[in-house]
Amino acid sequence: MPETVLPSVAFDGAKNATPQAPVIEIAHLDAHYGSRQILFDVNLEVHPGEIMVVMGGSGSGKSTLLRLLVGLERPSAGIIRLFGKDINRLGPNEMLDLRRRIGVSFQGGALLSSLTVAENIKLPLRELTRLDEKTMDIMARLKLEVTNLSGFGDLMPSELSGGMLKRAAVARAIIMDPSLLFFDEPSAGLDPVVASALDDLILRLRDAMEMTIVVVTHDIESAFKIADRITVLDKGRILAVDSAQAIRNSSNERIQNLLHRRAEQEDVDPAEYLRRIAGDA
Amino acid sequence: MLHTLEIIGRRAVRGLDEIGYATGLLAESLLWIVIGRGRRQPVRLSSVFVQMMEIGVEALPIATLLSATIGVMLAIQGLYSLGLFGAESYAYIGIALSVTREFSPLIIGILIAGRSGSALAARLSTMTINQEIDALRVIGINPVRFLVTPALLGMLVMVPCLTMWSNLVGIASAGIYVSGALEVSFQAFVMQVIDVLRVDDLMHGLGKSVLFATLIAIIGVVNGSLVTGGAEGVGRATTRSVVHSISAIVITDMVFAFLVTR
Repeated sequence: MPETVLPSVAFDGAKNATPQAPVIEIAHLDAHYGSRQILFDVNLEVHPGEIMVVMGGSGSGKSTLLRLLVGLERPSAGIIRLFGKDINRLGPNEMLDLRRRIGVSFQGGALLSSLTVAENIKLPLRELTRLDEKTMDIMARLKLEVTNLSGFGDLMPSELSGGMLKRAAVARAIIMDPSLLFFDEPSAGLDPVVASALDDLILRLRDAMEMTIVVVTHDIESAFKIADRITVLDKGRILAVDSAQAIRNSSNERIQNLLHRRAEQEDVDPAEYLRRIAGDA
Repeated sequence: MLHTLEIIGRRAVRGLDEIGYATGLLAESLLWIVIGRGRRQPVRLSSVFVQMMEIGVEALPIATLLSATIGVMLAIQGLYSLGLFGAESYAYIGIALSVTREFSPLIIGILIAGRSGSALAARLSTMTINQEIDALRVIGINPVRFLVTPALLGMLVMVPCLTMWSNLVGIASAGIYVSGALEVSFQAFVMQVIDVLRVDDLMHGLGKSVLFATLIAIIGVVNGSLVTGGAEGVGRATTRSVVHSISAIVITDMVFAFLVTR
C-alpha cells in the first residue's frame, strides 16, 4: 500500500503552493505487456509547477508508466488525465492539441539522425505550425541558448557528446513552450558533472518557464536534487508518494533497499520464471 | 513431429499477421494523402521530392548500366537462337517485347529493392531502435504520414519512370549491337521496334513496375518497423527486406504474366 494516499494530501513542494487542478491524474491504472502485468492499480496526481520524480529499480514499471503518460501505450484499465482530459478518449485533433502542450526528452535523445541539431529542434514547428522560416530560426536559437548549445545548431546529432545530445533533446522538447515536460532517465550514461548540469537545467526550466516536470530515473542523487515529490515504484505498484525528505527518512524496508542500492533476497521459483518468459514471448 | 508442426503453425500465423499489418500500413499511407490536410498533417511535397531524388535520380547511373547490359545480352542471345533457324532479322521482335514486358520492370524492381528497399528498412529499424519513431509520435507527427507515405509515393513515381528509362536504354543498346552484327542501320532497327511495340506492351511493363514499387516500399517499412534486438536486428531487418522484396517481385511477376498474357 502507498504510504501516502495522494488525493488527500495537499501539494506544497513547488513554489506555487496554491491548490490547483492537477496537471496529471492517474486513477486505478493497470498495464500489461502480453499476458504479463506491469502496473497494478496505480493512482497518482501531479500538480502544476512541481517536479515529480518517479523512481524505482529495473523492471519496476517506471518506463511503462512514462510511455502510458505520453500516449505511446494504452492502459489495460484505469484512467490517465492530462490537463483534465482523458488521453485515451481523445480524437486525433484533440490529441494533437494536447501534444502541443507536452514535451518529452528521451533517454538517448532520439534526435533524427538525418537532420542537423537545429533542424531537429525546428521539426515540431515545421510540421505542426505555419510559422515562417525566420521565426522558426529565432525560436530554435533561443532554445539552443536556454540549453547552452548556442553555436551547435549546424552539427549533426552524431557529432554531439552524450550530454549535448540530451540537452538538444530538451531544446526540441521545449520548442513549443509546453507546460508539461517528461524526462526519461536524464542522467543515464552521463558522468556526474554533466548529469548535475542537466539537473540544474531541469530546475531552471521549472523556475523560468513554470513547467510541470515528470522525471523517470533510477539515479537517486539526481532524484533528491531536483524532486519536489518522489513516487517510488516497486514491481508495478506504488510504494510511496511523498516529499524527497520524507522518502529519505522512510522506514519502509524496500525504499531503504532502493536508496542504499541493496539487493533484495528473492526466492525465484524456476517454474514461475519460465512461465513469465513464455508469457513474454 | 508435433514440434515441427508447431513451428510451421507459428510461422504461418506470424506471416499472416505481417501481411495484415502490411495491408493496413498501405491503406493508412494512401489515406494520409487524402486526410492529411484535415488532420493538420499534410503530406509534404518536399519530402516526396527528396525520396524521388534518392530512389530515382541517384539510381540512374546503375540503372543505365544494368539496362544497357541486359539489352546487349538479349541481343546476343536473340541473334544466336534465331540464327539457328536463319531468322536473325526478326531479333528485334524478341528484344522489343522482352525488354518492355519483362526485363526492364524486373531488373529495375530488383535494383530498387536492393538499393532503396534495404535503405528504407535500415533507416526505419534504426529509427525504431533509437526511439526516433516514439519521438515523432509524442511530438504529434504521425510516422506513417511523415516517413512511409513520402517513400511510397517516391517509389510509385520513380520505379515506373526508371522502367521507361530502362526500356529506352535496353532497346538502344540492343539496337547498337544488332545494327553492328546484322549490318542494318540503327535507325532501321528503331523503326522496326516502334512498329512492333504496342501501347499494351509498355503498359504491361509499367503495370508491373507499379506493383513492384508498392511491394518494395511496404516490405521495407514492415521489416523496418518490426525490428527487435539492437544493431544486429537492423542487419537482420535489412537482409530480410531485400530477400522478401526480391522474392515477392519474382512471384508477382509470374502471377501477373500468367493472368495478363495468357
